[in-house]
Amino acid sequence: MNRAIEVEAISKKYELGRQKSGSLGETLRHTFKRDKIKDDTEFWALKDISFQVNEGEAVGIIGRNGAGKSTLLKILSRITYPTSGNIKLFGRVSSLLEVGTGFHPELSGRENIYLNGTILGMRRSEVKAKFEEIVEFSGVSKFIDTPIKHYSSGMKVRLAFAVAAHLEPEILIIDEVLAVGDFDFQKKCLGKMQQVAGEGRTVLFVSHNMEAVQKLTSSCVYLVEGRLNCMSDTKSVIGRYLQRSESGLNSTYYNRVGSSDIYMKEIKVARGFAGVEHSWGNELTVEFDIVINRETKGACLSFQIVNAENVNVGYYWLYASDYDFGAREGEIKIKCVIPEAKLFEGKYWITTWLSDRSGLRLIENLDRICSFDFHINNIVHDEYPWAPSDATYLDKANWVFEGSSPITIKMPRLRQ
Amino acid sequence: MDKKHFTLISSSRPWWKIDLKEFLDYRDLFLVLTYKDIRVRYAQTFLGLAWVVVQPIVTLFIFTLIFGKAINVDTGGVPYPIFALAGMSAWNYFAFVMAQSGGSIIGAQDMVKKIYFPRLVLPLSKAIVGLVDFVVALVLLGVVMLYYQQPFSSNVGFVFVFFLFNFFCSLAMGVWLSALTIRFRDFQHVVPFMVQIGLYASPIAYPSSMVPEKWQLYYYLNPMAGIVEGMRWSLIGGVELSHYSYISFGITVLLFITGVLYFHRTERIIADIV
Repeated sequence: MNRAIEVEAISKKYELGRQKSGSLGETLRHTFKRDKIKDDTEFWALKDISFQVNEGEAVGIIGRNGAGKSTLLKILSRITYPTSGNIKLFGRVSSLLEVGTGFHPELSGRENIYLNGTILGMRRSEVKAKFEEIVEFSGVSKFIDTPIKHYSSGMKVRLAFAVAAHLEPEILIIDEVLAVGDFDFQKKCLGKMQQVAGEGRTVLFVSHNMEAVQKLTSSCVYLVEGRLNCMSDTKSVIGRYLQRSESGLNSTYYNRVGSSDIYMKEIKVARGFAGVEHSWGNELTVEFDIVINRETKGACLSFQIVNAENVNVGYYWLYASDYDFGAREGEIKIKCVIPEAKLFEGKYWITTWLSDRSGLRLIENLDRICSFDFHINNIVHDEYPWAPSDATYLDKANWVFEGSSPITIKMPRLRQ
Repeated sequence: MDKKHFTLISSSRPWWKIDLKEFLDYRDLFLVLTYKDIRVRYAQTFLGLAWVVVQPIVTLFIFTLIFGKAINVDTGGVPYPIFALAGMSAWNYFAFVMAQSGGSIIGAQDMVKKIYFPRLVLPLSKAIVGLVDFVVALVLLGVVMLYYQQPFSSNVGFVFVFFLFNFFCSLAMGVWLSALTIRFRDFQHVVPFMVQIGLYASPIAYPSSMVPEKWQLYYYLNPMAGIVEGMRWSLIGGVELSHYSYISFGITVLLFITGVLYFHRTERIIADIV
């Protein structure tokens, strides 16, 4: 079988603070004091990664946040370069780190299709040949000559994806942030990608959505802290990933090297016992320390509480229409206080989403971070032992005996 | 099956090795981006292209009042507005392209962080967009010359040669500045400053012969000094070009080569530091 991708001993080093663009004065100061700031600012995002992908294979790249997935993705798509090592790609490559790159609001849908298509590496003649198909796929044919600033955000996503879906590279590198837009459309997109994989194209798919990885890929590369943990068939790698991420509790997430316009520097699940052991009906707080590198009007923040079965049991949000927190640069601390958390016994994580509603961008998605336990020992329920399948959440309820002298019993009863 | 496309991503790439073939592969992107820039520039402006005309006319008016009437510079018998316009045609192109190219990478940072393409496409497309301004300036000059019944010089064929110098000089500055701005944001503030200084440090409103002989050598270190004089000489004639202008042309070539190389070196770390 032919090789499509050969990754040979790739490493990537970031020098925190120094490499960021700054003012001239800062750089001059650093140049003179070079030795002082050398050691603690070095950070290896990837260390010695090697693997091969054969032609026609669909391979997933998985790992927890900060494991180096996106750095590897950026190197494979030539956005950034490795500090050492080589990668050989045999065939025409398209990489999709977002849809709608380069879209300009003043231009019409038609013009944006050409713009986005050529940015993605298509020839103008190719775009022209597929133009009708793209327009049809997007479902916005009526507005194709209207400037896209008049489009709804849904229409823009459709148009953007329609272009991306019509790329015909031999190697396709896709990022999970493509999971924007409504659910039906996501399914359509996943279907289209599956079709691509089925046609004998090589696909690299970076994600922490295990369901999508399972559907799309046959084998997976698993990264842990910038190193290759294993590469094997998807099922066993996912098993390993889940196993590893479920040992030990850590209610804090910390990231000091965010690169996006807005990123989470720190997230902490607080209250309870040391933030990790919580009791039913008590206050639960989730504290966010958000760094806004560039003002982003229309920033939306939401998070889900996810249980061990990977079911989202709670959803909390603060959208720009409620409070435009991203409108000013700087670092902000926001606390979401849930006065009475009524989760059932079990282990939970949170999944956070930072997006830019007006720009249609998913800025940051942190999946299953901040693990914590919920207990219901404080509830009187001695007759039957609790079973994990009993519920996903427990609510308060009043039991009322009707009649001439009604009695109300408030449930559940709490232990003193 | 035809020969497979092959890409090597390597940590070690010689800094002087520029992949021209790849650049050609991206010519369609270059064309579409240029089209976009031109479209966007005039979209939603009520007067559209008229802005390209209004701005030089206002400058010309001020120059005519100050240098033509008040100071009364020696134009060698040519009506002052024609003299100034001929110089401005080269300078306005330079100022536009330097500013636009210089900010092109920073301005496209969202794109640069998400997809690969030869980054040089960005400043280069701005140099093409500036052609609109240059052509408009020439038309404007033609109209004014018609009004004054002033014929074009017999050197007019050289316009093309000096425009090439003008093009490479503007692009060189743009390429230098776009790469420098990525590393040091300070350079964003340098551009307007350079445009302002350069307008008076180049022979636009006055002839270079007004500069004392002992300063001429240093004066022509400004590449636009020779280019503006050259452009004016080919459009309306006048005294032969000073032999010092070769300094300007030499500097242009030097700036362009070093600019492209520096850009090429910085290109690899753009996404990391933008």
